Parts: sequence; structure tokens; C-alpha cells
Amino acid sequence: MHILSLLIFTPLLFGVLLLLLPSFLRNSFKYVALAATLVQVVLSGWMYFQFKTGASFTGINHADQYQFVEKASWISLNLGSLGKMQIDYFVGIDGLSIGLLFMSSVVMAVAALASWEIKTNLKGFFALFLLLDMAVIGVFCALDFFLFYIFYELMLLPLYFLIGIWGGVRREYAAIKFFLYTLFGSVFMLLVMIGLYFSVTDPVTKNHTFNIIHMMNPANFAQGSVFSLSAHQMLFGLPARSLAFVVLFIAFAIKVPVVPLHTWLPDAHVEAPTAVSIILAGVLLKIGGYGILRICFSIFPEVATAGAFWLGLLGVISILYGAMNALAQTDLKRLIAYSSVSHMGFVLLGISSQTTEGISGALMQMLSHGFLSAMLFFLVGVIYSRVHDRYIYNFRGLASLMPQFTVFIMIAFFASLGLPGFSAFIAEAFSLIGAFTSASVNGLLPSWMAVCGSVGILLSAAYFLWTLQRMFFGETRLSGGESWKTALTDINFREKSALIPLSLFALILGLLPSLVFSKINDSVLALVHLFR
Amino acid sequence: MNELPISLTEQLNNILQSITYFAPETALAILFLLLIITGLLFRNDADWICSSLCLLGLIFVFQRDVQQLYFIASGPKFLFGSMLLLHHVSVLFKLIFAVLTFLIVVYIPLDRQLKVHQKGLSDLYAIIIAVVFGLHLMAMSVNLLMIYLAVETVSIGSYLLVSYHSENRSVAEAGLKYVLFGFAASAIMLYGLSLLYTFTGTLDIFNTHFVDQLIRINPVPVFLAMLLVIAGIGFKLSFVPMHFWVPDVYEGASTPVVAFLSTLTKIAGFALLANFLTPFIFFNKWTAFDFRLFFSIIAIITMIVGNFAAVLQNNIKRMLAYSAIGHTGFALMALVTFSQQGVSALLFYLSVYALANIGALMLCSFYAGKNSMLMVQDLRGLGKTEPFASVCFVILLISLTGLPISAGFNGKVLVFSSVIEVYRQSHNILLLVLLVTGAVTTVVSLFYYFKIPLYLFLKPAEISTQKPTGNRQFPLLIIIGLLTAIVFLLGIFPSVLANFMQ
Repeated sequence: MHILSLLIFTPLLFGVLLLLLPSFLRNSFKYVALAATLVQVVLSGWMYFQFKTGASFTGINHADQYQFVEKASWISLNLGSLGKMQIDYFVGIDGLSIGLLFMSSVVMAVAALASWEIKTNLKGFFALFLLLDMAVIGVFCALDFFLFYIFYELMLLPLYFLIGIWGGVRREYAAIKFFLYTLFGSVFMLLVMIGLYFSVTDPVTKNHTFNIIHMMNPANFAQGSVFSLSAHQMLFGLPARSLAFVVLFIAFAIKVPVVPLHTWLPDAHVEAPTAVSIILAGVLLKIGGYGILRICFSIFPEVATAGAFWLGLLGVISILYGAMNALAQTDLKRLIAYSSVSHMGFVLLGISSQTTEGISGALMQMLSHGFLSAMLFFLVGVIYSRVHDRYIYNFRGLASLMPQFTVFIMIAFFASLGLPGFSAFIAEAFSLIGAFTSASVNGLLPSWMAVCGSVGILLSAAYFLWTLQRMFFGETRLSGGESWKTALTDINFREKSALIPLSLFALILGLLPSLVFSKINDSVLALVHLFR
Repeated sequence: MNELPISLTEQLNNILQSITYFAPETALAILFLLLIITGLLFRNDADWICSSLCLLGLIFVFQRDVQQLYFIASGPKFLFGSMLLLHHVSVLFKLIFAVLTFLIVVYIPLDRQLKVHQKGLSDLYAIIIAVVFGLHLMAMSVNLLMIYLAVETVSIGSYLLVSYHSENRSVAEAGLKYVLFGFAASAIMLYGLSLLYTFTGTLDIFNTHFVDQLIRINPVPVFLAMLLVIAGIGFKLSFVPMHFWVPDVYEGASTPVVAFLSTLTKIAGFALLANFLTPFIFFNKWTAFDFRLFFSIIAIITMIVGNFAAVLQNNIKRMLAYSAIGHTGFALMALVTFSQQGVSALLFYLSVYALANIGALMLCSFYAGKNSMLMVQDLRGLGKTEPFASVCFVILLISLTGLPISAGFNGKVLVFSSVIEVYRQSHNILLLVLLVTGAVTTVVSLFYYFKIPLYLFLKPAEISTQKPTGNRQFPLLIIIGLLTAIVFLLGIFPSVLANFMQ
């Protein structure tokens, strides 16, 4: 069964179908895209339930413990005296990816629903949308670094056009800024990738390999190779492995985004159309977190341990800086964009604690934030599509005008600020517990970092509640007057069908976190084991 | 009279033997004569007859080139008393020349600007074949005199190509500039070559005597002589600081000619440089001139200057000119590995660069129509009216930038791989600096290449001032589509070409 390939390439198949459809059927394009994403939801949901757990299904650095594995030879280049450059189509999933895979499929379906508002050049939009979908799912499944890189880069082009053509006023600036930022990270990743390739040999064939799992085993590094653990090579006067870790970390930190590298995010999120904002916040940011775990931490665990303090510090700075920026925003979409920076800081904090609780919390936070940020951006999109304005002070007393909408806003806001019973509470609590216990378990993070992280929760309560009060409570007063009043109708069936599943997932993960923890626990334990 | 070192019969035998290995070049020479005669005989229909004759001839040359791969399977072969060296890499270069020339000959009649030229195109084909003859020699020459002759053949032909249509001042200016700089460069090179001859007493660079003698004398004059020769070759490669002619000439010359100069002569320059450096690289005691240091620095500067200067350009041909300089720098990176893998990476990189660059220039012709100056602003909103061509443009630009999935990405990976592999053995910090420069300039190149999609797709069209493009340009579109498909497919299956380039 090639179920994983089916999952990855379903969007491509539907995309080709879409390109072949004549343009007088343009009203059906959105249904084609929605169908593709729904097929993915079914497939990934089925995989989630079929996903086996236990000590023999941990994944991480054991190739035989991955599930739904597919491997086929793809590129085989003869390099003369250097043997062969072998690149495989190698996909498989473990506890780190299964949750993200399901979450991404759901978010993609929601994004497809949100793209109903797109009115121009539909064929182009949905073709790019489906291409992006394929690339995103591919990144989570790839176990060959080359394949991973291909999918990783393949995301950039559709996003550039999606933001640049269908985006807001400053779309051109936002699109190229996003593209340049990400490419800057990834070209250096390319160099490290090739360096790793020449350092690692396949234990069976003795050829160099791009296999990520082989890269995790120090025994596979050739004697005296650049990134060998025992060789202690230097590059530019720095230890080679540390430098490689930093380069890879920067590439993924741009995606997460971690604070000094986050400046592309507010622009891209704000200028992008709603559907693309949902994908950016819901899925793209997780690729950063996933990459840090799968690539940086798994291949260079000793560097990760040595640098844990600095990583944790960056996480804390992201939490606080993002939250404070969110407090200062007057554009609702920008506020939510900055809240993403803050919430993704918890992921970095949890990961860098290198404890079971912390990493589980980080993974949970990625899922939780995926659902919640998709919901938040969808909600902003609802207002924006009606009156084409997002300025917070232009709205007041929306609660009486749009009661159902306000219910969902309240669910999303309260869930995001960490109300017990919702997923974000579990996720942030576990990340912080990880950061707290780290001081006593492995002594990597001082406990003040956890305290600062808690302050971040407080700040997020502040900006969410304040926004709620400013926009939704009180007497209805709109800057657009009567015309806005008639335009601001309550949410319709399509919008509800996107919002209800998202709120349900946030609630279910909050009430029954074991649904996720049971699936990821073995892999997290194996990952923590790598650090010893 | 002192006796001749080799008897006359021996020499004659050598020449007779060599002629069998000289089939592609002989064919080119005959084709050149045929084209001139045909051009004179058929005044009115000369254009299409010459063009088809040219294409047929090139197919024949290609077939002969392929045959040479089998002739030299047993090892490299010196021809005409060590004037030329026929070896595997040179045959690969010749194959690339034949294929690319074929493309350009197909392209020439499709360019509107050249088509309306009242002189007709038959002479242009003849000149191109003469230049390709020179290019073939460049790829094989291992004798100082032969090097000069080959380079001159190419240069003189190129001067004619650049100023082939000189109806306005800027073209004439470009042509004149090219001729003046070109002659200066050849003079410099000739001076360097003659110095080398004086130092060694031999013209044959593969002669053991040649390098031996150079080691014995003072390194300073040797350094100077080498510098002069490399400057001459550098004019063809257009690396910094021998690049100043490039933007003006590319802007002025007609687009197919630019496609020719920016790919074929550049690739031949690399072939010649590789030939010229081989004896020095494989001579261990050679220390007078650190080629790796020299070319690494040149490569770094060239990448930086080419790519950063391209950012400032709004004329597409000028932008492509600067980006071509940047690509020279990147390709030099593969050359400084001085390894077998580096050479095959170089071949792969150059051939996919050439395909994408010719495609991009064809698109310039497509969008420009009769208008010779194509600015990025002219592309505003054309993505909607010309969706197919615009999508092709984006894919070709992706390949030029080096993003997956495209042939250019694989070329970049191969070049980086060869450099990293050599770093692993030599631990030379310069190679790391090269890698970092290559990576940074890739990001820079994205910035200017994506100006084109920016105007094509992102900027809305101004109040409909659409030029009536399309209809007559259908054949051009087909070729562009084919090139794009090749570039894309080589992105997914690079093995097809890369394994051939070993």
C-alpha cells in the first residue's frame, strides 16, 4: 500500500485535473480543491488511527520503526572516482510527524473553505494552493534530506505568488521579503546538507547517503569527515558541528519564527489573503518546529544540549517580545500574527528543555496552535471579507451585531490565551513544566525562563481580553456607519462548517490530551534518549 | 642545414592520420563555404535555404562529434603534431556547442528584429558556422599558436555578429566597443603567449619541457605572462575585471546574438581555460602561480559584482548580462576544484545554464517584438494575457536562480558537492569562502530574477496598452515550451544528462 505517497500526491492529481478543466467551469474549481483536501483529511485520519504505538514503533533514529514507509531509488548519479550519488524517494512517519500530518490536512481543508472569498484568477489560485499542499505534506513525510529539501523549497514559489497576486496593499513587498528571508536560510541549509552527505555513509552499501536516519547515528560518519563527531573539525575557526547546527537552526528559526528573524511574518501574514494566512500560521510555522526536532536536534544532539540555554533564551524572548508587540497592535490581523510569534516561542522553550514533558508540550503546542491560529485568521477573514477593514478601533459592540461570530471569537480567544479545558492550556502547561523540571533533571534551563514564559501567558490574556473588550463589548459603534451595519451579517453555513471542527479539535485535545500524547510518547522518549 | 627533428614522411603520416579525427571541423569548414555560396546564388530565398542547410549541417556535425566519443574511448589523442588534443571532455564540449548552435540557428529567424533586417540572414548563418568552427578548435587547442588562432577566429566572427544589424547608434556603439576591447584583449593575450614562448622555447604546452623551463626562471615574469594570457581568455569568459564590455554589448546586439555570446563563447572560454591549466595543475612542483587562490578570488569578486550590479538593472537584457557575469563566477567555482568531478559538474552547470539562458532570451524576443529595448516595466500585467509564455519564463528563471525543481538547482548541487568534496581533502579555507559567496549571491540573484515575475503577475496591467504580440510568434513559443520542459525534466531526472557528462 502506497498510502503515504497517495497522501502526498493527491493534491497534485487534483491540481492536474483542475488545470485541465475548461474555464467556464470556474465555479467548480473550489470544490475540486476542497475535495482534494477532504481526501487528505480522510487518509491522514485513517493513518492516525492505524498508527501503532509501543516500544517497537518509536521511529526517530530507527529506520525499521517508522510506519507507512516507502522507499524507491530516485536519482542515481555516477560521480566517477567518488562512487555514486544516491538519492532516494524515502518517506515514512513516526510520532513526531503523525500528529502534524493530520493537523495539516485539517487546516488545509479549512483553508480551502476560506478561499471561497477569492474572486479573481481562480485556476491559478487553486493550482498553486494544491501545489503548496503537496509540498507541505511532503516535508512532514520525507526521510531523505534531499527530498526534504526539495519539498521545503517547493513551498516557497506557490507562497510567493499566493501572497503576491491575491494579497493586500503591500503584497509585493511582503511576498519578496518572505521569499528572500526563507531562501537565505535554506541556501545555507543546502551547503550543510551536502556536507552531511559527504560525511555520512550508508552502513550497508558504504555509499554516501542523504538518509536522515543514518545521519543520526554517529557511527555512520566517515572517519575524519567534516561533520564527524570524533574528528572535531573546524570551519572558519568554529567547531564544524556547532556551525552546522547553527546554520540549520537559523534556517528553521526563520520559519518558526524566532524573534530576531521574525520580521517577515507580520508583513506576510497581514498581506496574505485569509486562506494563505491560515496555511502560513497553521502549517508553515510548524515546519520550522518540526525541522528543528527532526534535523537539528536529531542529527546534532550534543550541540543542542550544549546550546540549550541560548535556545531557551530565544524562546523566552520570542514569547515576551511577541506578546508585547501584540499588545501594541491596532490591526487585528497584525495582532494575531504577533500572537503567533509569542505562542511559537513556547515550542522553542519546550524543545530546548530536552525533557519528555517539554518536548511533548512543544509538539502539543504545534498542533494546538495549528488549529487555533487557523481559527483566528479565519475569524479575522470573516470581518475583513465583509467590510474590508481590520482596524480594531473602527469596531465596537460587535457582540450584539454578530452573536454567533462572537461565540467563536470567544472560543478562539479563550482557548488561545490558555484557558483550562482547551488544547493550548495543556500545551503551554507541559512546555512550562518541561522548562521548570529541566533545572533539576538535566540542568539545562534556569527556572526563571519558565517564570518568564508564564508571564507570556499573562500578557496573552491581556491582549486577547482587551481586544475582546474593545471590539465586541459595549454599544455598537462602527466607523463605517449604517452601511457596515448591514454588511456585517452573522456567519453563514460555510464559515460555521470550518469553525466548528476547529473549535472541537481545540476542545477535544484539551479534554483528552492522551489522544495525542499516547501517539507521540514513544517517539518523544526515543528523542530524549538521543540527548544522553 | 641542421636535420629536422621529425622526418617529412612521419609528419605527413601524422597529418593524414589526424584528418580522420578532424571530421566535425572539416564538416564545419565545408558548411561555411556552402553557406556563402548558397547565399550568393539564391538572393531571394537565401534565408530559409541557408537556415535549413545550416541545421542539416549541424546535425551531421553532431553525429560526427558523437562518433568521436568512440574514437577516443581508448584514451586522449594528439592531432597534427600536438596542435590539438582530442580528449573526452573536449568532445563533450563540442557536443554542447553543436546542440546549442542548433538551438540558436532555429531561433534566429524567429526574432522579429533580425527578420526585418534588409541585408537578409544568410551571411549571419555563415558567420555563426565559422565561429562554431573556432569554438571547436578552442575546445581542443593545446598549443600556444593554436590557442591564439582559435580565439581570434571566434573573436573576429563575434565582432561581425554583434554589429550585424547596426541601424541605430547604440548598436554601432556596442559593436565598436566590442571590437576595440576585443582587439586590446587579443593583443594582451598575444603578448603573454609570446612571453611564454620566449621563456620555454616551445609552443606545445603539454611538452614536459614547457613547465620545466617555466619553473627554472624567475617567477615574477612568469606570473606576468600568465596574467596576460588569462586576461585574454577572461575577456571571453567575462569575469571581473574583464567584464566591462558585457552589459553594453548585450544591450546593443540583437537578442539571438546575445544568446550566442552569453552561452557558446563563454562555454568555449571555460574549455580553453581548462585545457590551458591542465599541464600546470598536474605538475606538482609548480608553485610560481597559485591558480586556486587566483581563480577563487576572481570567482568571488565576479559573483559579487555580477549579481549585485544586476539588482540595479531595469533593462532585461542588461540584467541578464550582469547575471551572466555572476554565472561565470559560479562556474569558476567548479573549475577551481581541479578535479574530475568538478569538470563534470562544470559541464552540467554550463549546459543547463545555457539552456535556461537561451530560453530566457527567446522570451525577451517574444515579449519585445520589434521593440529592441525591453524593460521590466513593459512586462506589467502580461502574465494574464500570455499565461503560457509567462509560466515558462518563471520556470526558466527558477532554473537560473537555482531553486528546485529545475535543472539549475541540480547544477548548483553538483557544483557545491564538488567543492565540498575537495574541501574535505584539502581543508582550504578559500573553498569555504567560495561556498558562502555562492550561497549569498543565490539569494541576491533571486531578488533581481524575480523582478520579472513581479511585473508579469503581481503588478496589474496599466490601462490596456497591450502590444499585439502572439499570432506570428507561435513557433517561438513552441521552442520556449520545449526548452522549459527540458529544464524542468532535468530537475526531476538529472541523471540522464549528468551521467553523460562524466
